[in-house]
Amino acid sequence: MSAAKRVQQWATFARTWHIFDCKWQDPYQSADLIKKYLMGMHKPIYHPMNDCGDVVVCINSRDIALRGDEWKKRAYFHHTGYPGGASWTLAWEVHNKDPTMIIKKAVYRSMKGNLQRRHTMERLLIYPDEEVPEDVLQNVTNQIRQLRLVPTRLDHIPEDEVRKFPKVMDYPKDYVYK
Amino acid sequence: MSNSNLFLKSGFVRAPLQNGVGRYVCQLQRIVLKFCKSHGGSRGMRDFIEQDLVDFARDNPSVVVYLKPRRHRSPVVVAEYLNGDRVWMSMQNKTQSEITKWIENMRTQQGDLSAVRLRKYQYTDHPSIQGPWTPFTFKNPELNVAKLPNPKFGANDRLPMSATEQLRIMFEKQRISKEEVKEEKKEE
Repeated sequence: MSAAKRVQQWATFARTWHIFDCKWQDPYQSADLIKKYLMGMHKPIYHPMNDCGDVVVCINSRDIALRGDEWKKRAYFHHTGYPGGASWTLAWEVHNKDPTMIIKKAVYRSMKGNLQRRHTMERLLIYPDEEVPEDVLQNVTNQIRQLRLVPTRLDHIPEDEVRKFPKVMDYPKDYVYK
Repeated sequence: MSNSNLFLKSGFVRAPLQNGVGRYVCQLQRIVLKFCKSHGGSRGMRDFIEQDLVDFARDNPSVVVYLKPRRHRSPVVVAEYLNGDRVWMSMQNKTQSEITKWIENMRTQQGDLSAVRLRKYQYTDHPSIQGPWTPFTFKNPELNVAKLPNPKFGANDRLPMSATEQLRIMFEKQRISKEEVKEEKKEE
């Protein structure tokens, strides 16, 4: 194999590092997206027997958004193995304990249970906020687009823009807000 | 790929040395016909030898043909090829026309094809004109210098326009046309 072909091989099979911002994202819908990058299914060279999965760095996992009242209703099951060792923990409790756990479990659940799954999970790095170690961040060359728009709070929009926004009518000056 | 193919030799669809392009070299080198002179299982084989074998040998001077009569054993054809493959095939109870077709098959194939799992059903010497894919083909070159994470590359840009945004744009357009009308009046 010539030197040029060897470099071509390295380039084609190089591991890319992607970053994904979990802010206001549904972990279960994002998991299907993250899974594709972790397993390399977004590449034209994908084959299940081909080691072409990428690394995904998830940030802001503390700010994920579950749908409806899932924070109160979704339960995570664990069994210690002893009789009576079953426990059900609610999503908000799990999230308080470890803010990376829900997204990790969602990605783990989205993949098929085979021998490769735990090795693929090793390539998923999750950080609860925006603080990512420098040696991780310097590898990142791509960002995965989010699924949902991150809404902006009204009090975070500059006052000029709020005033300029078209209104149908103005409240009278003596109007009392509830 | 199923488990029954695990120990099967694997290969690609290829013609050795571009065989058939310009010239054809028969890949069959030697064929041995083993048969019994008395048993009924060899009846078809004996008919083939009596009627077709001489013609076969005359038409294919590059193929060495051996006959091996053996007492009370079933008829067998063994073919050997240029690439070293050896194909063994039982001709027990086969008729003369069946044997003619199988031997024609053995003459024209280029090795033990049935014992090869084809990795791909096509082959090309020039797999790609534009070069193999790399993670950086078709990527936005702005990513090379961007500092990630960046909402410009992270935000969803494929959502349809919201009703609020449409209303705002309609309002802006209306305001601009009103201002134009005012300016025209002033000029008059």
